[in-house]
Amino acid sequence: MDVLVSAEDLCAGYDGKAVVSGLNLELRRGGITALIGPNGSGKSTILKTLAGQLPPVSGRVFLKGRGLGTMSEREIASVMSVMMTERVDPELMTCEDVVSVGRFPYTGFMGRLTAHDRDVIRQALETAHVFELKDRDFNRISDGQRQRVLLARAICQEPEVLIMDEPTGFLDIRHKLELLQVLMKMVRERGTAVLISMHEIELTRKFADTVICLKDGKAGPAMPPADALGRGAVCRLFDLDEDQYDWLYGEKQALTGSDPVQGD
Amino acid sequence: MILAAALAVLLYLNLTIGSVPLPLAEILKTLREGPSSGTYGSIIWEIRMPRMFAALILGGALAVSGFLLQTFFANPIAGPFVLGISSGAKLVLSIVMIGSMVAGRTLHSAAMIGAAFIGALMSMLIILVISGRVKKMSVLVICGIMIGYVCSAVTDFLVSFADDSNIVNLHNWSMGSFSGSNWSHVGVMASLGGISLLLAFLLSKPITAYQLGERYAVSVGVNVKRFRVELILLSSVLSALVTAYAGPVSFVGIAVPHLMRGLFRTTKPHVMIPGCFLGGGVFCLFADLIARTMFAPTELNLSSVTAVFGAPVVIWTMLRRRGGRV
Repeated sequence: MDVLVSAEDLCAGYDGKAVVSGLNLELRRGGITALIGPNGSGKSTILKTLAGQLPPVSGRVFLKGRGLGTMSEREIASVMSVMMTERVDPELMTCEDVVSVGRFPYTGFMGRLTAHDRDVIRQALETAHVFELKDRDFNRISDGQRQRVLLARAICQEPEVLIMDEPTGFLDIRHKLELLQVLMKMVRERGTAVLISMHEIELTRKFADTVICLKDGKAGPAMPPADALGRGAVCRLFDLDEDQYDWLYGEKQALTGSDPVQGD
Repeated sequence: MILAAALAVLLYLNLTIGSVPLPLAEILKTLREGPSSGTYGSIIWEIRMPRMFAALILGGALAVSGFLLQTFFANPIAGPFVLGISSGAKLVLSIVMIGSMVAGRTLHSAAMIGAAFIGALMSMLIILVISGRVKKMSVLVICGIMIGYVCSAVTDFLVSFADDSNIVNLHNWSMGSFSGSNWSHVGVMASLGGISLLLAFLLSKPITAYQLGERYAVSVGVNVKRFRVELILLSSVLSALVTAYAGPVSFVGIAVPHLMRGLFRTTKPHVMIPGCFLGGGVFCLFADLIARTMFAPTELNLSSVTAVFGAPVVIWTMLRRRGGRV
């Protein structure tokens, strides 16, 4: 089966009020789909809904052909792993402890880790380049390191689908690239399907196979990045004028001061 | 290790010290001979031993209840006393007690625990409604303290209307004390406390996941709704148990989990739950020892003693945490 997650005419929101509507998507094995849109356009809302943490306002989500709403948390967890933006601050947990929570769906009643679990945890730590942090207190490492530890946690859950909300947010440019490389490796070697929200247009163009743009409570169609993130499309999406766009991504040297930059 | 040593020393001290001092040799002799052997025998078997076990079990129950609540609210200063849960239990229990006094009946243990449990759940529900509305932990704690005050005020009000001869009894209890424990009480405490402790221990795995936050707990397959209900019921049973037998005892529920976290340098529940139980037991043995010996023959109320030792721990922990986040 190639399609792991599919959504049909999904309307996502809180308390029955839609934040975004009209989402149709298919996450395929080995594919990377990116959600792009201004702040507040509903990226996180969609991700939470697809992860089964928020009931859809209308429409349906299928995970490996089964309705998401009919599956238990544990069944979902053995297929899908999520990495959200909200702050995690556990007390007195080492990075290894945090990562090992990812093995939860596989361990027994008391959560005892087997030798195999420990192996997977070690590999996940290495893959995310945080092995040397494993005994450090999770609360006493930098934001970027924390992000990579959370990535390791998601990896050791051995998901077929990985849902990530702005995982590159806190990272410097090198760690952004490293994180994306880790993801691409997972996609290539394990056929993981990745759904990711991010703000870096130029990285998305190179990284994603499919892009869905969100704007004014509407989800656009799934498109290849070259079409979805062309000059005109990006300008419309973020309310940029072409001057601003060219200054950001093009060759233009100076940004004229005549047009005030519009806030988001 | 430290905990075990402290426990042993305190167990000894609690048996040996009292209005009739007993040397170690006498204690061992009496313990060997079993109950019903003269004055020493009855002091040890009828008074000090039940009281000692009560302090141990109830102290442990309080500390575990505090640990569960701290996990639940992801709040370092949550505890059955601070959140008004003990006071809620006390209120309903005193209503039932006064009611039965008026009716001229004595209350069965089960009825007392049941009443305390209902009270604990009522406070808990109010706290949950509040926590659903405001996410700020400081607001939650303030509301809990206010609920505690209201419940205590109503209890005091009821006590002043109760029959004179019963007031002393009720008043003593409403201040917190382990005195008057007997073996049948200890039996109930041990079985109910033991079961709850075991259940709490079985929740270790979801507790670990929950410590990373609700969303992550869901994402690794925890049924969070069911888990939260289990956590609430367990911590309510534990604090109700304590309130039913010893009245509201302050600060054990907050302070002991902090001390244990400092001692074990971890929050792993399969270490913390037994650790808190032992730690709470040790703490209460110590507090009870002081309560009954400091100004003997006058007995201090237990809550004052636990507050004197527990409150500084809470302040210290708050200051030590980065940014003093509440």
